Amino acid sequence: MQLTKKDFRRLLSEYKIVALLLVIAVIWAFFGYLNIEFLSARNFSNLLRQMAITGMLASAMVFVIVAGEIDLSVGSLLGLLGGIAAVLDVSWGWPLYATIPVVIMLGIAAGMMVGWLTAYVGIPSFIVTLGGMLAFRGAVLGITGGITIAPASDELKFVGQGYLPEGIGDVFAVALFAVLVVLALRTRSGRVKHALPVPSMGFEIGKLAVIAAVIIGFVLTLNSYQGVPVPVLILLFILGIFTVVGNSTVFGRRIYAVGSNLEATRLSGVNVNFVKLMVFGLMGLMCAFAGLTTTARLAAGTPSAGFGSELDAIASCFIGGTSMRGGIGSVIGALVGAIIMASLDNGMSMLGIDTFWQQITKGIILVAAVWLDIASSGSQR
Amino acid sequence: MSEYLLEMRGITKEFNGVKAIENIDLKVKPGECVGLCGENGAGKSTLMKVLSAVYPYGTWEGSIVWEGNELKARSIRETEEAGIVIIHQELMMVPHLSVAENIFLGSELTNGMGFVDYDLMNAKATALMNRLKMPDINVALPVLAYGGGKQQLIEIAKALNKNAKLLILDEPTSALTGTETETLLELIKEFKAHGMACVYISHKLDEVAAIADTVTVIRDGTHVGTHPMAELDTNKIITMMVGREMKNLFPREEHEVGEVIFEAKNITCWDTTNPDRKVVDDVSFQLRAGEILGVAGLVGAGRTELACKLFGYWKGDQQGKIFLNGKEIQVRNPADAVRQGISMVPEDRKRHGIIPLMGVGQNITMSVLGRFAHNQLIDAESEMAAIQHEIARMQVKTASPMLPIASLSGGNQQKAVVAKMLLPDPKVLILDEPTRGVDVGAKYEIYKLIFELAKQGVAILMISSELPEVLGISDRVLVIGEGQLRGDFVNVGLSQEKVLAAAIGKPETAAA
Repeated sequence: MQLTKKDFRRLLSEYKIVALLLVIAVIWAFFGYLNIEFLSARNFSNLLRQMAITGMLASAMVFVIVAGEIDLSVGSLLGLLGGIAAVLDVSWGWPLYATIPVVIMLGIAAGMMVGWLTAYVGIPSFIVTLGGMLAFRGAVLGITGGITIAPASDELKFVGQGYLPEGIGDVFAVALFAVLVVLALRTRSGRVKHALPVPSMGFEIGKLAVIAAVIIGFVLTLNSYQGVPVPVLILLFILGIFTVVGNSTVFGRRIYAVGSNLEATRLSGVNVNFVKLMVFGLMGLMCAFAGLTTTARLAAGTPSAGFGSELDAIASCFIGGTSMRGGIGSVIGALVGAIIMASLDNGMSMLGIDTFWQQITKGIILVAAVWLDIASSGSQR
Repeated sequence: MSEYLLEMRGITKEFNGVKAIENIDLKVKPGECVGLCGENGAGKSTLMKVLSAVYPYGTWEGSIVWEGNELKARSIRETEEAGIVIIHQELMMVPHLSVAENIFLGSELTNGMGFVDYDLMNAKATALMNRLKMPDINVALPVLAYGGGKQQLIEIAKALNKNAKLLILDEPTSALTGTETETLLELIKEFKAHGMACVYISHKLDEVAAIADTVTVIRDGTHVGTHPMAELDTNKIITMMVGREMKNLFPREEHEVGEVIFEAKNITCWDTTNPDRKVVDDVSFQLRAGEILGVAGLVGAGRTELACKLFGYWKGDQQGKIFLNGKEIQVRNPADAVRQGISMVPEDRKRHGIIPLMGVGQNITMSVLGRFAHNQLIDAESEMAAIQHEIARMQVKTASPMLPIASLSGGNQQKAVVAKMLLPDPKVLILDEPTRGVDVGAKYEIYKLIFELAKQGVAILMISSELPEVLGISDRVLVIGEGQLRGDFVNVGLSQEKVLAAAIGKPETAAA
């Protein structure tokens, strides 16, 4: 069969996630070829821990961008919330069960303030969050006094540095696979009931077998080092929950509708301002998670924590196929984007490539990824 | 040399095999003002786009003779160089540039160094303003410092600067207040005295009567007649304008009209860009259960603005009360309206109706998504059941409910949008141009649905620019003109002439 340009485009856009996984495979093969250490279990574990924080931000950033907005303040907010966590934990000696809820509440509050200014007051989110980026960073400097606050308590450190014991990791893996099987069967029976086309049973089983292989490989690899890192586990939970939010909740459906056509959604009787407010609230929540994880990982609150991570999060979304114009994007895509970014960082560092080359490469990859996306959707003018 | 400045002969323009205008003649002498009249969609704008080369030479049939020579312009630039300048209904200005910069936009004056010569530009612009009797305008200020009326005159200054010999004004007064209109008309008379010709397109026949020397009327894309204004009056023009054929059959069905359930009192809305102008001016009306109330009027009369206000979507200043079942209700936004039982199918389907990236099914359930959810989680099965029920009921032709709505035909998109706004079980349904851009088959199905809903007791407010449709469907007809309620007729033996006369503002003489 002759594969025309159009067929290629359709394949790319239908199986975008497959294309992205292929990109990861190519990158890993490349770095592995140059330095076999790149493919070790230890490095794999490191890489995942490195991308966990960006991944947390990117999971919520997807919704912000899908809703047609942008949030530049997340790096600074992460730093501020991480700094507050450090002060509560180190200076005031609060227990973890008090620190975490307070930081989470503050994160949601800050996010909703940004959302309120954007959705209800009507200031463009670019401006509000640019202001937030400056103001939150200033607040971090004020709170920390410009110095590192250390050492964090052991409980807090576990959140960022801990590993799950082997047995518990296995249990999670089995549970995850069971959930995926149940979901696949339910979707299938639902489609059959409404006389919608279903893929063949063989294809379905094959797909599940591949997923099982990936999960087993994932857990075995991590177990052969020290186990599943706690931040990675948290990120996987976020991925699961946010995917459900995006695909199967009223709120999620409305986020995509708002981004696709704001006015038509408003005229359908949807309170679009509230949807935007909640999207920014969710972003604030993820900043709290990322802030806590950052402080825990460094075992200290630093004034520069999260500097520039808003750009990594935004870049991850775009590499992962989120549309600049809103209405299109997925959490899994953004996380794959984050893995691509983290792999580049990690691989080039291992090869001893200068930081300036790393930045140039990442910049080029971002632009190239979005170009590929535009070319594959055929929406260029 | 012919006595005419412009002769358009036998102009025919087709779109995809459908003739928008056919064999139309238009002649203009130097210093003459020709009024061009016709109903909505009669073909006036198409004719002017042919003349100004928006549709370039070769895409239409017929010939244009300009100052004795055939004009074969391929771009607006060429027609402007020849001296034909069109001023569109929506002003084409860059609001943040100064008055002078706007006047010279695209032909900026420069000094020997290649820099813009602001002194020269401002001096010339001031001279133009003096010619327009507006010496109080500071040409160095941005255009947005001036209201709609002054902006219209600045647009004319721009045309004068291009050495226009023929000025085409397309609904120039639709955004102007009464005094601003008078100033404009005075000015045009003066230009005429200086030998400039103009084509004046307006729904406001008293303006046409005041200013035109001859009047050309077109209807359904064909030339009805050209007469000197001295032989005409507004009633005669109306008689020439109407008489469109009843092309569609209306599946009229008997239905009972019940009690008053909806009432709008003293609704007034102000323009968002020209806050001195009222777009809806003190309109009050009642609507009964099971009643189909048609809203007729010319484009720009304020009907859509009225509908937006009732649905909580008007963004400018507003006043007035809305009652539902005898109780006053607050409608601050569309969500309020839908919750209280008012639905609206908007006029601009692409901008306000469809959510293009989503499937047909997801579009349909957007208004009532919460109904299919427990604790936010959507029950995909009950949603899909509802979607398939609606698709079958509305006869939306789609291969799958998952197909993006944008891939459907206009008629099927419209049916999906109607389904979306019917799911909340409205007591009052506002339909703004429900059959615009819809094929004949889908039109018929929408009409049938309207009668079906009326039978079920839904009160329907249907705005339409097609008079045969209004008369074919409605129990009662409201006529809106220049934002005001100009008539409230029971649709028994109602004629197109009577409705149009009311819309144009001659209710007392319309004895047709």
